Amino acid sequence: MTAYLLNLAQLAAIFGLLSVSLNILIGYGGIFSVAHAVFFGLGAYAGAHVALDLFPDLLLAALASALIAGLLSAALALPALRVRGEYFVIASLGLQMLATTVFTEAQAITGGLGGLVGIPPPTLFGFTLADPLVFLFCCLAFLALALALVRQLMRGSFGRALMALRDSEMAAEALGKNVALIKTLAVVLGTAFAGIAGALFAFQEEFVNVESFTLDQSVLILAMVIIGGAGTLSGPLIGTLLLLLLPAALTFIPFIPPTDIGAVQQLIYGFAMTLLMIFRPAGLAGRAMGRR
Amino acid sequence: MSALLSARGLTRHFGGINAVEAVDLDLAPGIITALVGPNGAGKTTLFNLITGHLAADAGVVELFGQKITGHAPHRIARMGLARSFQDLRLFARMSVRDNVLAATEPVSWFWQPGGVRAARERAARGAQALERTGLAPLARAEAADLAYAERKFLSLARILASGARIWLLDEPASGLDPASRARFTALLRAAVADGVTICLIEHNLDIVIELADRIVFLDQGRKLAEGAPESVLGDPRLAAIYFGERA
Amino acid sequence: MLILQLLVSGIEAGALYALTAAGFALIFGATRIFHFAHGATYALAGYAFVLATRLGWAWPAGVGLALVVAIAFGLLLEAAVYRPIQRHHGAFFTVFVAAFGVVIVVQSLIELSFGRAFIAISSPLTRAHEVLPGLYIARVFWLALATAGVVFAVLGAFLARTRAGIGLRALAENPDLLRAFGLSSRRLSALAFALGSALAVPGAVLGAMTTGLSPGVGAHVMLISLAASVMGGIGSLRGAALAGLLLGIVENLVVAGLDTQWSEAAGFVALFAFILFRPRGIFGAALVR
Repeated sequence: MTAYLLNLAQLAAIFGLLSVSLNILIGYGGIFSVAHAVFFGLGAYAGAHVALDLFPDLLLAALASALIAGLLSAALALPALRVRGEYFVIASLGLQMLATTVFTEAQAITGGLGGLVGIPPPTLFGFTLADPLVFLFCCLAFLALALALVRQLMRGSFGRALMALRDSEMAAEALGKNVALIKTLAVVLGTAFAGIAGALFAFQEEFVNVESFTLDQSVLILAMVIIGGAGTLSGPLIGTLLLLLLPAALTFIPFIPPTDIGAVQQLIYGFAMTLLMIFRPAGLAGRAMGRR
Repeated sequence: MSALLSARGLTRHFGGINAVEAVDLDLAPGIITALVGPNGAGKTTLFNLITGHLAADAGVVELFGQKITGHAPHRIARMGLARSFQDLRLFARMSVRDNVLAATEPVSWFWQPGGVRAARERAARGAQALERTGLAPLARAEAADLAYAERKFLSLARILASGARIWLLDEPASGLDPASRARFTALLRAAVADGVTICLIEHNLDIVIELADRIVFLDQGRKLAEGAPESVLGDPRLAAIYFGERA
Repeated sequence: MLILQLLVSGIEAGALYALTAAGFALIFGATRIFHFAHGATYALAGYAFVLATRLGWAWPAGVGLALVVAIAFGLLLEAAVYRPIQRHHGAFFTVFVAAFGVVIVVQSLIELSFGRAFIAISSPLTRAHEVLPGLYIARVFWLALATAGVVFAVLGAFLARTRAGIGLRALAENPDLLRAFGLSSRRLSALAFALGSALAVPGAVLGAMTTGLSPGVGAHVMLISLAASVMGGIGSLRGAALAGLLLGIVENLVVAGLDTQWSEAAGFVALFAFILFRPRGIFGAALVR
């Protein structure tokens, strides 16, 4: 039981990091991406390779993952951000589908469907982090770092510029904001943290394959941010906890066959997304409608 | 004195429509120029061509003697050209203070140069803009929650805080109640007294007469007349075009 | 012969994509709503046909059921999801997320009731005949072409000749004209959803026989429709139809040189190219900010 809870807590921290990172794009930047699992995956593969081919240092793996995810996203974002938001969403959908194929086919790097197996437990400054509780604290430390950074940035001039272009790109430009630069920085920052989450995930699962980086995963992360409340600090965390506890809670309901739990879970969060958009588009942590 | 901003032969077509056709515009320093004309005359399009939000099919724009044709809007803005929008385009989900502060911050990077001193100076500039527009008590409110007149003042406060020397204002005072309007026009006059150059689009001829030192009359994308308010507004031919369209 | 064979299946898939994508484009043109749940309509129609077949209904009844389900679903979404959202603010992303939620709901409902496995309906129509040495063509190929041809002809006539059709086009080009026409934009937008959803039915029914259905088919169809709409020029019906046809052909021809895994990916490479280099698409103007 303790092992199960620890595992769940680690996953919560990792997905919390993911949804906090996606919130930078969606909540503060108004940049809608349904390809976040791609950068999660890039980070996971990079982290796994650092651990398997070099040595399993947690910080080195996190750094490599952040760099690879961030740099690749910059290369993709620079051209894609020139187009309107609607096209960006479509492009990100396309990227997600394309990446799933590439992850499956590039077996030399990703191991294909079989994935990369036998990832050793991480080390930190030469000490092996075999204790899951210690690893949990490491995940929480990264999450706390991300939260603190987001909080600082969003209170400062960068956050103001980012939110300004979210609310009106044209007015932001008219006040001298370099919209393309700001968006690219936000995307790089968000995807770099998604990469770190990927590295943590690789160590946590000791195994990575393409199944974890599909459109379904991207949509799950999106749902966490939206349901919790995009553009708020606590919203993504609330959404993460709710959606991670949902399948756990469903296993306690006797009349749902275990094989259907995935579908029932999707059914619930699909409904939640639609209903929230109709009645409370700012999410659970966001402000209620009708005040304006 | 030579113009701070001058446009030569600006032209823009949408499909088969000549939205703006070979328009020349000169903004002389320290005065208020009003763009007047019926709906669809191309006034807002002209603004968009000057600020770089729309690419011109032909023509040249010079700002402070420098050619800015084809420059990105943010580069033009940083040279000291600010604008407002007919639909205001406030940063709706940000606080009033943040709307104004965003206008004072010139660098689109993770941090601003100049450290604490520059930050303090920017904050003071923002606070002053809020003070002058009467929004200081509302500094913490979200822009989306403001009343109509307050929103208009906020869009002006952003421009004030930006420190721009040339303002392009798109129907800045329309829909204001008489008291607010008086406050608004006083603010514009004070700005001009401080050396700001203003070009505004206005439908309300009372406001035009009250404020404008010079009038440019546009119709169907062409400049029909330019001159002192009395001479342009006194021209029966232009009045027919103006009121004929609106009746 | 392989190329020719792939071309045949490409045209067959493309004709059906063209219809589905045209439905999406029709809805977008008339309502300015990115109907992301269009793929869910396709999935529901396909599974409705499967259900009818399993109940032993004759095929016209099956098609009828698919039509009813598709149109009812489209109208329901318009009234219960899109219109309430547009009434209070109508931000694009709010619509997007809501529609995405619907896609997820439909997918999981199908999973729960039909299982996750692929389902295909066997039909004599799909039995292939050798028309040339090495080239096999099934009757469903001709059926797909004929259906697409007839539907597009009828749709074209409807849009060009009838009052409601002209209204739909006016809605796309100039909503102000509509008031002069004395048409209600609310009823027209319902009409657009009904028509657009019905256009997904031929692809769904014939798709159930040829490529088969799975719960995730909605996402794939949504992507095809979006891709075709962007490539064809957003809001342009004939652009979407043409791009849908091309996408079907490209997806199939890619198999000649690469693994089947890449067939879907090829479509998206084309989509990226369009978004980056010609966002206005083959026809149509780019969206103005």
